[in-house]
Amino acid sequence: MALMPISIVLLLSNFLSSTASGQMLQLSIPWVPSLEIEISLVMDGLSMLFALLISGIGALIAIYAGGYLADHPQLNRFNLYLLSFMLAMLGVVLTDNLITLFIFWELTSITSYFLIGFDHEKEEARKAALQALLVTGLGGLAMLAGLLILGEIGGTLEISELVANGVLIRRSPLYVPALLLILAGAFTKSAQFPFHFWLPNAMAAPTPASAYLHAATMVKAGVYLLARMNPILGGTTWWFALLSLFGGTTMLVGALVGIRQTVFKRILAFSTVSGLGTLVMLIGLGTDQAVQAAMLFLVAHALYKGALFLVAGIVDHQTGKKDILQVGGLAGALPMTAMAAGLAALSMGGIPPLFGFIAKEALYESALHMGYFAIPAVVAVVTTGILYLGMGLLVGVGPFLGARPSELGRVREAHWSMWMPPLVLAGTSLLFGVRSGLIEHTLLSPAMKSIVGYRFPTHLGLWHGFSFALVLSLFSMAMGVYVYLRIEDIRRAFRPFDEIVHEFTGANYDRCMTNLMAFARWQTDLLQSGYLKNYLLIIFASTISLTTYTLVSRAGSFSLPFDLPPVLHEVILVAVILAATVSAVFQKSRLGAIATLGIVGYGVALIFATFGAPDLAMTQLLIETLTVILFVLVLYSLPGFTRLSSKGHRFRDAVISIMFGALMTTLVIAALDVQFSPSISAEMARKSYPEAHGRNVVNVILVDFRGIDTMGEITVLSLAALGVFALMKLRPEKEEEV
Amino acid sequence: MLSLLPVLPIVIPLLSGAISLLFWRSLWIQRWIGVGGTGLLLLSTLRLLSEVERTGILSVQIGGWAAPVGITIVADLFSAIMAVLAGIIGFCVAVYSWYGVDERRQSYGYFVFLHVLLMGVCGSFLTGDIFNMYVWFEVMLMASFVLVALGGTPMQMEGAFKYVTLNLVSSALFLAGIGILYGVVGTLNMADLSVKLAQTADPGLVTTLSMFFLIAFGIKAAMFPLFFWLPSSYHTPPPAVSAVFAGLLTKVGVYALIRVFTLIFVQDVVYTHNLILIMSGLTMLCGVLGAAAQFEFRRVLSFHIVSQIGYMTMGLGLNSRLSLTASVFYITHHIIVKTNLFLVSGVIQKMRGTGDLKKLGGLYKTHPSLSVLFLIPAMSLAGLPPLSGFFAKLGLVIAGLRLEQYCIVATALFVSLLTLFSMTKLWAEAFWKPRPDVAEGEDEPRSDDEPMCLTMILPILVLALITLTIGIGAETFFNLADRAAGQLMDPTEYIEAVMRTRS
Amino acid sequence: MNLLLAIVIGALYSAGFYLILRRSIVKLIIGLSFLSHASNLLVFAAGGLTRGRAPLVPPGSLAPVPPYADPLPQALVLTAIVISFGVTAFALALVNRTYQTTGQEDIDELRRTEC
Repeated sequence: MALMPISIVLLLSNFLSSTASGQMLQLSIPWVPSLEIEISLVMDGLSMLFALLISGIGALIAIYAGGYLADHPQLNRFNLYLLSFMLAMLGVVLTDNLITLFIFWELTSITSYFLIGFDHEKEEARKAALQALLVTGLGGLAMLAGLLILGEIGGTLEISELVANGVLIRRSPLYVPALLLILAGAFTKSAQFPFHFWLPNAMAAPTPASAYLHAATMVKAGVYLLARMNPILGGTTWWFALLSLFGGTTMLVGALVGIRQTVFKRILAFSTVSGLGTLVMLIGLGTDQAVQAAMLFLVAHALYKGALFLVAGIVDHQTGKKDILQVGGLAGALPMTAMAAGLAALSMGGIPPLFGFIAKEALYESALHMGYFAIPAVVAVVTTGILYLGMGLLVGVGPFLGARPSELGRVREAHWSMWMPPLVLAGTSLLFGVRSGLIEHTLLSPAMKSIVGYRFPTHLGLWHGFSFALVLSLFSMAMGVYVYLRIEDIRRAFRPFDEIVHEFTGANYDRCMTNLMAFARWQTDLLQSGYLKNYLLIIFASTISLTTYTLVSRAGSFSLPFDLPPVLHEVILVAVILAATVSAVFQKSRLGAIATLGIVGYGVALIFATFGAPDLAMTQLLIETLTVILFVLVLYSLPGFTRLSSKGHRFRDAVISIMFGALMTTLVIAALDVQFSPSISAEMARKSYPEAHGRNVVNVILVDFRGIDTMGEITVLSLAALGVFALMKLRPEKEEEV
Repeated sequence: MLSLLPVLPIVIPLLSGAISLLFWRSLWIQRWIGVGGTGLLLLSTLRLLSEVERTGILSVQIGGWAAPVGITIVADLFSAIMAVLAGIIGFCVAVYSWYGVDERRQSYGYFVFLHVLLMGVCGSFLTGDIFNMYVWFEVMLMASFVLVALGGTPMQMEGAFKYVTLNLVSSALFLAGIGILYGVVGTLNMADLSVKLAQTADPGLVTTLSMFFLIAFGIKAAMFPLFFWLPSSYHTPPPAVSAVFAGLLTKVGVYALIRVFTLIFVQDVVYTHNLILIMSGLTMLCGVLGAAAQFEFRRVLSFHIVSQIGYMTMGLGLNSRLSLTASVFYITHHIIVKTNLFLVSGVIQKMRGTGDLKKLGGLYKTHPSLSVLFLIPAMSLAGLPPLSGFFAKLGLVIAGLRLEQYCIVATALFVSLLTLFSMTKLWAEAFWKPRPDVAEGEDEPRSDDEPMCLTMILPILVLALITLTIGIGAETFFNLADRAAGQLMDPTEYIEAVMRTRS
Repeated sequence: MNLLLAIVIGALYSAGFYLILRRSIVKLIIGLSFLSHASNLLVFAAGGLTRGRAPLVPPGSLAPVPPYADPLPQALVLTAIVISFGVTAFALALVNRTYQTTGQEDIDELRRTEC
């Protein structure tokens, strides 16, 4: 399982020297050129950094999952999802085409859905999976629109080409809408407040998935996108304001809510939210120092947070406890785990000589240099720094020290496949802390160059001399330990805050869903009421209003057709038909109604006869007679005419029907007045005898010119006969009756 | 033979139906004719498509009477694509019906009606004459009336009753529209109508008339606010019947809308096509919200048909080459996917005896391969990349953005999220959730699960593979759709093909 | 006369639509028949009427002698009449079966497929 990610790591490291020297490797395969979709891979410093994180951590997670889910019947499915996710995530960071990027982006969402819902028989897991999918899906669709607008104003869908058009794009009137839409995607994916709530709930996923997707990689896709877009969209006031505001708020909210949690994975989830906020804020600040801090923090966070998640998973796996209050004194039983946990916790708290310390120093340093915004920025980052140490100690140190609760029973160290990955991650934190030069020039500064567009000097190291940042650092370490010691008070104190945040976010989601469902039911009951007459009324009303409106607003005037003055017997005929029609409506007996129907039918036949259609008249007479006989036969097995509708309904229906009838009359009159071109029937009449050898033009049309109509007509008739037969003979079996 | 190619998709089902009728008493022969006849239909339509693709629009003047005196059967790319889709669906459903439809229904002419239904559908796609289209509509409707009622369960009767009434209203409006149109223009041939209307003096009256066609076809296509017949009837007949209806019938309405509103009624596109656009947006929304309120497998799917129709007509409403391309692509994708989902629902229905989501569950555990077969069309319907539905929606969204129609684009995107929501509901309730009457942790499926049979799974598999192909190989299909849209946008070639023999 | 016929057509449509809006299934089916009469008459009349002369080619002549009635709408109506007869017959059977299987004559009660 781990072989594939490992081989990807090896493959990537081949290109390391090229990306380190600032080269950009490209490979492009057209996929759907009609829509400008290409599978174009691009590898620069930023892609390389992310790709190595994804595949490197992926390898460790794959090893870990093999141990963690060893007895699970669906381990194979889990591995499949995990690998698919990894490939999709690599796709996100390696593609140059906006649409392909979106495709991979959505694939990470859907694999995340399957991973969160992996424990699919539990309702919370299903709900959390859906929530994550909907929130990130909504953002994703907004982002798609944003990316497409960006493509339209930038004239291309390739990111590397858009960079060149950055100025043009930022000046476009569509810049702000595009920016907002793209940010919607990035913020939902990277769990920015107020969309962060799905991430803590996503902890329903098996721990390896949480560690991988919801801490180390997938949630950073939004951050990646922002970093990638910085040269195209960045540098404006909008960019600065939105990113630093949302990022800063998320950073604080995540840390403040996280500190009062007691469930391992929830503490970690909220601190991840906070970490993502930090990254977004740093990219928004956009100074060289901030970008440098962002990259340092990105790596540091992936290392320690991944490790801590895996540790939480081991504790859960070996003791069955998910809450920090239920465990203690585990260092003896889980020595390797404890070592990994301790290192990771210290890195999270920003304690030297771990890599987290370097990241934190950079963070403080960049906040100090923010000019007007320095004071709020410093307050925010120092508060966060304090809480990070507190949370790190809560998860990574507390459970391993002190007395062991008696109900824990015997606890054994986990299989090596489980403790090795966190230890490697935590060890790397230490290694990079001590020897930061290992990644400074190979990975970090090429990545920074991709973000800002130029290379700037970096000086990484544990010791930067005495500076204000160092003072802040020492202060926050002391406060962090204090927070850890007074954690009970803090939990109590922050409780209302936690509730307010929930009310504002997760509870709002629930309300939205409830309201949406209620609205869906309401509108469905309203439209699809089950009452046939409502359906008909809506259809009639639409027809009348659309047609009348069009007629009045668009059609020219027309005159009434007085050209063919009626003779007496025609007037009588018309009067009889009208009388029969009116009486059909008011009939109280079935037979009477059929009689009026018959009268109308014969009347129509007489009209045909009067106006040069003897064949038609004959057919109409015959068919009408048959229809009446059928009606009489069938109606006797049917109930009588019952008046069921209320008076009000009858009036309403009468109004609608009369309007419809009047509309039809008007249209016929209009049609009689307007004749654009001579009818093709003149040509038919000319050809009838000489070419089709028939003297009766109507017959010739039926059997020859339009013979295929007649064939269709016969088919309908035969089908009707068969259908009536089947309907009468084939009765449902008893079991189907219900 | 080649010259008769466009007529074959009408003749083959007619003959298959007639032969099946001769062997009324032998189910065995009828089944084989069902598979063989639809197979031949599929081959003939494929041949037709490749021929049209190679040589341009084909036309046949029936009886040798030159247009507009006689009736012209004409196959442009759009028609040919639709005919191929009818062939694919017909074939897959015929195979599926072998065991998917009970013997009692089969012994009362199920296959005969299926063949004639396909004949009506293909006729509607291929005819070049507006009244002839009415006749094919009636053929198709009559067959569908019988199929929806065949079996006679009370639920079926109630569904059929509404289905028949509302469709007859649609037919009456269609016929009235034709009558007035003939009275005004004096011709029935659609190409001839196009030519003559291009020089009309009073486009306002024609636009008024177009409303009749909009309503009549809108009812068939199940657009807002005319869709009611669909959700009240589609879940009542056997799943195989629902599947063929879901795939083809509403699409005949969409086809007719696209045909007449690109060829004939183009006098006042700002008005008519914007109207179509508004209706499309509401169709999407109402359909998807309807689906959100349902808890029965096929009822959810039925409302989604409505919702998806909105996307297809959206391309028509936007009225650009790209948007029509996307519409044609969308129809192609949708027919395959929707039929497949209904077929899957049929398998589940047969296995568990119910389509009620509250009673279903646990299928992911017991039937992982069926789960995958469900996921492919379901995720494609929701528009997840890189499946076919994604490219269909993408095309529409790009077209909408280019025309600065932001409202409809936002609606389309939002509705696709709700579609995803619905599909995950089906997935979570029928597949993920533990089966309600099986205790958690218990692996044994209950003994009353009927085993799946190959003839029911095979069509599902084939359709799923087609969905994947359309997604991965989107370029090929998009290209074809683009050329079809080109012919629709500029009807000169169509008109020439119809009138060719005149000179 | 054209005007009168236009009014007749409108009246037939009104009656048809009114009857299919009723709750009784029997009235509905009669309403559908009215609708088909209305449509047939409309197709016949929309092109204008000609009194008397049927479109026949008299012996010894090559074409009908004008003025004669337009033969094409007649052919269309013939087709439509036969189709609507088939449809009406089926609809009658359907109504009959619906009544027998559900025992309902009130259409408003036929809502089980949707609730």
